[in-house]
Amino acid sequence: MRRAHLLGLGFMAPALLIVCLFFLAPVIMTAVFSFTNMSSGTGISGGAYEVTEKTVRRLPEHGFPEAKAEMLAQDVYRIDPAGLTALGAGYGKALADEVGKSLSGKTFNGRRDLERALKKMKARPRSIREIKVAADLFKRSVLNTRYETEDAFVAAITDLDLKLDTSERALLSKVAYTGWTWTTENYELIATLPSTLRAAANTLTYVGFTLAFNVGFGLFLALATFYLPGAQAATFRAIWILPRILPPVIYIMMWKWLTWDTGFISSFLSNFDVTPRNWMLHSDINAWVSIVLINGFVGASLGMILFSSALRAIPSSMLYASEVDGASRLQQIWYIILPQLRWPILFTTAYQTLSLLTSFDYIYLSTDGGPGSSTEVWALYTFHTALNNYGGALQYGLGAALALVLVVIGIAASLVYLRLFNFDKLVAKPRIEQ
Amino acid sequence: MTSNFKTWPVTLLLAVLSLPIVIMFAYLIVDTVTDTTAGSLIPDRFTLEHWRFLFEPPQTGRADIWAVTLNTFLFAGSTSLIVVSVSVTSGYALSRLNMPFRKFFLGGVLTLHAFPTVTLIIAIFLMLQMTGLYNTLIGVILVKTALELPFGIWIMKGFYDTVPWEIEMAGIADGADRFTVWRKLVLPQVHPGLAALGLFSFLSAWSEFILPQVLAPDGASQVLSTYMQNLIKDDRAPDFNLFKSVGLFYALPVMTIYLIFNQKLMNIYGGGTKG
Repeated sequence: MRRAHLLGLGFMAPALLIVCLFFLAPVIMTAVFSFTNMSSGTGISGGAYEVTEKTVRRLPEHGFPEAKAEMLAQDVYRIDPAGLTALGAGYGKALADEVGKSLSGKTFNGRRDLERALKKMKARPRSIREIKVAADLFKRSVLNTRYETEDAFVAAITDLDLKLDTSERALLSKVAYTGWTWTTENYELIATLPSTLRAAANTLTYVGFTLAFNVGFGLFLALATFYLPGAQAATFRAIWILPRILPPVIYIMMWKWLTWDTGFISSFLSNFDVTPRNWMLHSDINAWVSIVLINGFVGASLGMILFSSALRAIPSSMLYASEVDGASRLQQIWYIILPQLRWPILFTTAYQTLSLLTSFDYIYLSTDGGPGSSTEVWALYTFHTALNNYGGALQYGLGAALALVLVVIGIAASLVYLRLFNFDKLVAKPRIEQ
Repeated sequence: MTSNFKTWPVTLLLAVLSLPIVIMFAYLIVDTVTDTTAGSLIPDRFTLEHWRFLFEPPQTGRADIWAVTLNTFLFAGSTSLIVVSVSVTSGYALSRLNMPFRKFFLGGVLTLHAFPTVTLIIAIFLMLQMTGLYNTLIGVILVKTALELPFGIWIMKGFYDTVPWEIEMAGIADGADRFTVWRKLVLPQVHPGLAALGLFSFLSAWSEFILPQVLAPDGASQVLSTYMQNLIKDDRAPDFNLFKSVGLFYALPVMTIYLIFNQKLMNIYGGGTKG
């Protein structure tokens, strides 16, 4: 390898390292997580095996015999050699022998029965408390006991003597496992859940309207400020740059102040006998208009900047020539300017389609998908599912699958754009060969 | 150009359309130093009490604003520093140096724009938890840097592209190697670009909300954006005058930087990453 190659790769090394750690690794991990049922319930490291009341209730739903499930929940006490040995070590051989002789192999449901039997023993411990402790030595229930490995769990289950067949035992292990497991369920859920369909439809509405507003209004701003005298143009440019430079939290706070039921619009309209209401969340339409305007103002500033610089690049001689030929402003815009803005417009549209598809911070801060979930777009739905869920467990696995859909769309779109915007010109070969 | 059209209808239309922003912004500033009776639109009393949060926490249990501000400075400053120092070499390599996989790297940088926060944040959240960087400022800085990097590299490549080849060729002809040429001849040419990129990444990190919110939600590593959102979300008593004062305090550095470096930043804002 030549020296210049080494220099180039050395110059790239820090960037490559960071990109590998924080882009490639997360994308691969997202793909991996999307095939798991990982959630805040299962935890992110491995799990254990545990039968809880909830497991017992859920077992019959999976086709586990109900009677056997109930037996799992019971406190079972059985007099077996292991218990007798423990008893002998704790309370003397006499008691162990006596219990072994009279009760060996017997099973008691509940501790009380066993205590009663123990009290009849001659060598019984003195205090009631000690009898309770002694009885616990024979406890053979798996309820609420954690087993770190499947083998230990199966051994404990076998010990219960429930007469399970192989498939029933496998089912029990599967349901009792508290950690995450591999599954393709997430993708089935995405295909079947009505809420994903709704999120997809919302995303289309959002991207469509906001994009139209961004490009249309951005173009209008650029053209208007282009033709207005200097000072006026500068003022309007300064005003319209504000939505873009203000931090999102403040920008949304200002919108909330404007639209809340004690806010500016309500106060202003109360002079005209309009009942105060929350203009952002009053109805679905209100929410949608707010979302499109909030995002649209930000996007229109970007459009304005891009289009303004493209406008300045048009040779002014063309504009003068058209005026000499008697073109009106509208004709000038339509026949001279717009054809030359074709590429900037196409670029802005392409770029913003992708960034709108995946952006959700303004929606999260303003309506948070509400009212109901009428403005919950795909990206926000993903975020809610995996990281910000009021109602219950955070479903990392399902969220990762939802995010992966966006990754796939993003890669596909960028490949199209690279083709569209003449990628080969960008990678012109370096001119110094060394 | 001659003015063969009336400007006032356009001005009027623009003025009407700009009204929401003007109103929001004017009240953002006015409301921080005045009180308004409920239901009225005109402030009726001058007061400085909304700025009391500078000296004591606005509600019990809230962090001290200066500690939060320091965090935000650390967050934005480190992010900006790392982004600039990594982009300055990578941008040059991509713009000028022959190396294996060059085309692949360039395409990669462009494609990485397609991975916005939401697609990565779930995995990053879990990775930070596994590595113990969850809830630390360092974790958020690293993640923000990584997300900002493709953009920074791309911008720096653009600045290097404008440096004339003749400068470098002259350096080579005089016997310098590529590294010396870069350090002594090319680097001084892109100083304005470095400054602009530094400012831009600083502002971007300063405004960032989602990453700190998800990756470092707890008190000690709070930044101004999460501090303010917590204040707003806690709706026991929505006090917009307070929100606006904190907001103005939070936005001041942004607006100052913008006012001073307007022209420098304009180049970059054109290619920015926000919706």
